[in-house]
Amino acid sequence: MTMISVRDLRKTFPIKKHAGGFVGSLASLFRSEYEGEFEAVKGISFNIERGEMVGYIGPNGAGKSTTIKMLTGILVPTSGEATVAGMVPWETRKQLALKIGVVFGQRTQLWWDLALIESLELLKYMYRVPDDRFQHNLNTATELLGLEEFLRTPVRQLSLGQRMRGDLTAALLHDPEILYLDEPTIGLDIVAKAAIRDFLSELNRARQTTVLLTTHDLDDIEQLCPRIMVIDHGDVMYDGGLSDLKQRWGGRRQLIVDFASEPDVAISELTNGNLEVISIDGPRATIAFDRDSLSAPEVLSRAGAYGDIRDMSLQEPDIEDVIKRMYAGKIPAGV
Amino acid sequence: MAYRSSFLLQIFANFLINTAEVLALFAMFYQFDSMGGWTLGEVALLHGMSMIAFSLGDMLTIGMDYVAPQIRSGEFDRVLTRPLSSWMNAVTSEINLRHLGQLIQGFLVLTFAFTQVNIDWSVTKVLMLIGAILTGVALFMALFTVEAIFSFWTVNGVEAINAFTYGGSDLAQFPMHVFGRTLRVLFIWIIPVAFVTYYPALYLLDKPDPLGMPGWFVLLGPVITAVFCGVVAWGWNQGIRHYRSTGS
Ligand SMILES: Nc1ncnc2c1ncn2[C@@H]1O[C@H](COP(=O)(O)OP(=O)(O)OP(=O)(O)O)[C@@H](O)[C@H]1O
Ligand SMILES: [Mg+2]
Repeated sequence: MTMISVRDLRKTFPIKKHAGGFVGSLASLFRSEYEGEFEAVKGISFNIERGEMVGYIGPNGAGKSTTIKMLTGILVPTSGEATVAGMVPWETRKQLALKIGVVFGQRTQLWWDLALIESLELLKYMYRVPDDRFQHNLNTATELLGLEEFLRTPVRQLSLGQRMRGDLTAALLHDPEILYLDEPTIGLDIVAKAAIRDFLSELNRARQTTVLLTTHDLDDIEQLCPRIMVIDHGDVMYDGGLSDLKQRWGGRRQLIVDFASEPDVAISELTNGNLEVISIDGPRATIAFDRDSLSAPEVLSRAGAYGDIRDMSLQEPDIEDVIKRMYAGKIPAGV
Repeated sequence: MAYRSSFLLQIFANFLINTAEVLALFAMFYQFDSMGGWTLGEVALLHGMSMIAFSLGDMLTIGMDYVAPQIRSGEFDRVLTRPLSSWMNAVTSEINLRHLGQLIQGFLVLTFAFTQVNIDWSVTKVLMLIGAILTGVALFMALFTVEAIFSFWTVNGVEAINAFTYGGSDLAQFPMHVFGRTLRVLFIWIIPVAFVTYYPALYLLDKPDPLGMPGWFVLLGPVITAVFCGVVAWGWNQGIRHYRSTGS
């Protein structure tokens, strides 16, 4: 069953000429003085099925948060279509709210002045969560996220990691079918990150909750998301399996070569289509190469022409490297 | 406990501020015997009704005061992800009872008015009084919403809209026929505050309308107010569609 379906979704933000003063701002109500438009999301399309966990990644300003805001109904798109749980988000915001959970890592959804438990009880009332579901969800969260020690603390006093755990619990109280997470692990320590990841996998396993997650932490992606979408400058550049991505674009292994002394600087000439001398640091050179077209001994023998090799080690490709190259535009768009 | 006493203090301060307004009324009648043919008691009736409607409307929409800063900071996002209508959600996001002071004052002024004027009470007159105040509450709630609506488009200049809300409530405290034509048209047909106090008061006092409108005219009040509220609701929805959130 398709939970999220997006067709040619576009969002532009007007860039307004600054009309100063009261008269200027009043005039701008009636007469638009647009200097132009900034296209934050440029007509993207995708489908997400029930139970999928999708990582939505891209560099700063790529359009991730803007997409999520359209899919929650916060923003009305400039053009294009989307249905979430069978509804058009910005037209049936109220009904959709019962089916989705939202966590913005940057900003809490809780009430600053209330104790965490009071915030949760208020939400229970607002979402009409039955007593038994509330108890069950609260117990699960308490157990897996360790809420017990700060349930009675006012939200304003919670640390970032505590608040995030509170926000996550709050977003899931009403058993949403879809969960949007915009940077849920931002600024968290390793223990908190691990707790949140475990909690999310468990949730997805137990309740088949569909998850769309943005993050800059690629470990989140490796541990949670079999599928990723990469967006840059408002365009989806890749949509597919994480392992596919590694195989197809992460074919770069790295050979780290230690020479007896600094190698001939001409070694950088080795760089060509399927090989790149990434760095030369004293006697150590790091060379990345395509796993399909070159073998490690071959690269090693080429490097040997520039100095006396003492030692070497081989590193398998990691997702970080792939993404880095993708952001830098070295992998063609429209894969 | 500290909270409670500061709360009482706020109400008291609000009460004092409005006392000045009431004193000004008495001062005026110290100089003149009547205003447009109306006695002190009759004008006090307008004052009382207006103060009650305004303070109730203000208290019920206090959350609207927070819409502009929430829009600017992007916190308004939260309002749009809840299973409530966005207006309800915005209105309930804050509660503040400091205008209780004005409400109490309104009741005192109204009581004073009743001791001064001779009203030939009947069931329909009681209903008229209650209906007028309810209409007023709805109207002022809509006016406070208008202030918030403007903040979807512009971050400054919203205060100018205040002029209509506060001006309207001030105007409602005096007999409508003492004002010029432009103001009358504005506050009868566009922002119908004349139906909150003036026309109901004419009915309560069995006075003919010096402006020549027939007796049933007062019944148009809820209709025009409903139209006004409808326009405001439409404007609110346009505002929501226009909401841009923030980049981070
Ligand atoms: N409310 C807004 N008004 C104007 N421009 C905006 C607004 N929100 C976002 N933008 C612009 O749209 C682009 C996409 O922003 P968005 O917040 O979606 O990026 P993102 O992918 O979430 O980035 P990050 O990783 O930094 O969170 C940015 O260039 C941003 O400046
Ligand atoms: Mg973002």
